[in-house]
Amino acid sequence: MAAIDVSGLEREYRGGLKAVDGIDLQVQAGEVYGFLGPNGAGKTTTVRMLVTLLRPTGGRATVAGFDVATEPQKVRRKIGVALQEAALDQLMTGRELMELQATLHGIPTREVAGRAQDLIGRVGLADAQERRVGTYSGGMRRRLDLAMALIHAPEVLFLDEPTTGLDPTSRATLWEEVRRLKNDGTTVFLTTQYLEEADQLADRVGIISAGKIVAEGTPTALKAEVGLPHLDLSFDGDADLARAREVLAPLGEVRDVTPPGADVSLGVREGSSAIARVVRALDDAGLTVGRVELVEPTLDDVFAARTGSHLEGAGEAGAAA
Amino acid sequence: MRASLIVIRALVRRALNEILRVPGAAIPGVLAPTIFMLGLSSVFGEASSLPGFTADDFRTFVVPVGLLQGAGFTGAATGVNLARDIEQGWFDRLLLCPAPRTTLLTGVVASAALRALLPATFLLIVAFSLGVHVPTFVGLLIAAALVMGLACAMACFSVTIALRFRTQQAAPLMQIASFIGVLFTTSYAPKPLLTDWLRTVSDINPVTHVLEGVRQGFVGGVAWEHTWPAFLSIALMVLVLGALAARGLRRYGV
Amino acid sequence: MHELAFSARVVWALALRSLRGALRRPQFLAPLVIFPSMFLAVNVGGLTRTTALPGFPVVDGFLDFQLAGALTQSLLLGGVATGIATALEIEGGFFDRLVASPIPRTTIVLGRLLATGVTAAGQVTYFLLVGFLFGASVKGGVPGVLVVYLIGIVAGVGFGAIGQAIALRAKSASSVQGIFPLVLVVLFASSAFFPRNLLSSPVDTVAKYNPLSYVADGMRHPIIDGVGATSLLEGVGSALLVVLVAGAIALLALRGRLREA
Repeated sequence: MAAIDVSGLEREYRGGLKAVDGIDLQVQAGEVYGFLGPNGAGKTTTVRMLVTLLRPTGGRATVAGFDVATEPQKVRRKIGVALQEAALDQLMTGRELMELQATLHGIPTREVAGRAQDLIGRVGLADAQERRVGTYSGGMRRRLDLAMALIHAPEVLFLDEPTTGLDPTSRATLWEEVRRLKNDGTTVFLTTQYLEEADQLADRVGIISAGKIVAEGTPTALKAEVGLPHLDLSFDGDADLARAREVLAPLGEVRDVTPPGADVSLGVREGSSAIARVVRALDDAGLTVGRVELVEPTLDDVFAARTGSHLEGAGEAGAAA
Repeated sequence: MRASLIVIRALVRRALNEILRVPGAAIPGVLAPTIFMLGLSSVFGEASSLPGFTADDFRTFVVPVGLLQGAGFTGAATGVNLARDIEQGWFDRLLLCPAPRTTLLTGVVASAALRALLPATFLLIVAFSLGVHVPTFVGLLIAAALVMGLACAMACFSVTIALRFRTQQAAPLMQIASFIGVLFTTSYAPKPLLTDWLRTVSDINPVTHVLEGVRQGFVGGVAWEHTWPAFLSIALMVLVLGALAARGLRRYGV
Repeated sequence: MHELAFSARVVWALALRSLRGALRRPQFLAPLVIFPSMFLAVNVGGLTRTTALPGFPVVDGFLDFQLAGALTQSLLLGGVATGIATALEIEGGFFDRLVASPIPRTTIVLGRLLATGVTAAGQVTYFLLVGFLFGASVKGGVPGVLVVYLIGIVAGVGFGAIGQAIALRAKSASSVQGIFPLVLVVLFASSAFFPRNLLSSPVDTVAKYNPLSYVADGMRHPIIDGVGATSLLEGVGSALLVVLVAGAIALLALRGRLREA
């Protein structure tokens, strides 16, 4: 049985705007599913419906085997949620918040303190637990938020843009924790607007645009759809180009590109490991390579191929990758 | 049942926590009813010399008004705090926990009942030290129960407003309702002295019975005929306004 | 002269901006008149018989007497609202943008005060209309109405200056809101709601020195009696006093703020 099973899910707002317009998706138990899309695409609306905070206006969704519309109480027992705003009561200390969360989730009183300590330690906030949350940094709040979402050992964990606005170190810490949860067998549904995040963490990615899923699959398969990795090569002087094409032809698919970016582009299935081979062949032929750059398709290319526009922050994530 | 009580206790504790940690924010709410009571009695004190006035001293007459005003404003503040929690996303977190909706509502409303005792206690200390007649123990007990009851009723009302508008900007709506509810009664004078329109309004307004129920301990004496209408009015208000709040909560996110 | 024309233009532009902001958030503007209206209603409804008390001035009705009190209360709340608006502007960073622009600093204070003055004229209009609607009349006729406007606007600007001075020192909207109980105290310790000779001790003594008493009585006299030199001078004089003192404090607070920054 799928941990999350969604068919034809819709949310229409007054005035007829469909924020989510007929989504189908399945997430298997133990899988990390990345839900990728720009701001306003319908990611958060979808999550709010799946976690029972918003009633769907059409379609059906079950989480951990229970219908979100008709059995919300049962769904709530099975899921953990870390929402975008990391809404925390600033006046309470980290420990108090954890214990309150445990109480609200019906954890027996004698287990509350122990469970809270355990998770606070796990997200690295043991030293800060007696401080008020108002003094926490953005990264610390997200980590506390995550720990709170895990207090009742949920089967399915929803993370809505868990790293938006975080510094790289905090982001890495959170990624580490998600990987660990996956190893423990937790199903994770993660929304993000960062390509790299989806690429790094997700077993499968669904790309959403204007309320519809426009592509779905493993990151590798999705990227393969839009084309091979290729090497962009430029040479000193233009007389050598004809020779170069001859030399490169047996090594892969050669395409001409317009300078100044590069002179020739060579499709290489194996990616970066092809570089040495190609450079050696050109060297043997007495050709001096001015510049070599490996260009790999990104999920943004997938997005662009399907929607004709680019993801926000694609440049940033591309540069990091 | 026991699980619900634990959840309610946790929610109440969080609300009380707020008073202790940001006392500055709570001070105006605690002071205002007392200032109002002192102000009214200093300004309009001569009114008690009018023929037909039941109390010898106007201050004693308006102490119960101050007590209920404190309850009303505490109820309104509960709604404002909920609106803030909604704005900041904290309320989503509460909704995600598997406790029954009525339990969450009870937790929020119960905290208002307890908080309402704070302005009331302060007001009574000031009033008694200024020589206001101290009621019997039963009279005080009835007053305390009615103050807590009115805080619950007003909290239910302002929670309904908060769930509907989901912004702290709706605060004046909650405050004005509690202002009208408490003052458009026999707050300033016995019924025969009121103008016709205010007498009609106070006949309809259930808070009038509550006010007379609190007042009997201070002016006159505790009597069954003033007690049961007060508690019946409170019960009906909590029932009706509580049902509205519960409906608002059910519809939230739909 | 050129400088002055520029300043005037800036003040006008800032005032327009403040007014527009107020009109676009009627939920902030409405309480200024709603609370005093409710209080007026309950005071008149509950204490209408008090006009028969010995020592009460001769009036057509308690509403005529209370009108100036409600107006004073409304203008005071307007001052708090001006303070909150200023504090929100500081919190939101718009204030810094103004300070960083090449305009005379005083125009920042004056612009908002001008807007408060216009709002005050609106408040006076509202309460006079409410009064007429429910049977009150202005004994002083048209000159009496003009006196009410004059004192109301000057006092409104003065209360606005107090609000601004507090906002410039406190910097946060919630602490400006915290002065609300103080507003109640000042209001009750005046003759705004009841004749001074009938107030209980010691409030009657405080009311004697409270400028608010003279502002309220200055607006009340033309309503219940007629235009008279003494009440006019006392009313305008005390309102001007508030404007000058609070305005000076606001400008000093502004200078203090700029020095810190």
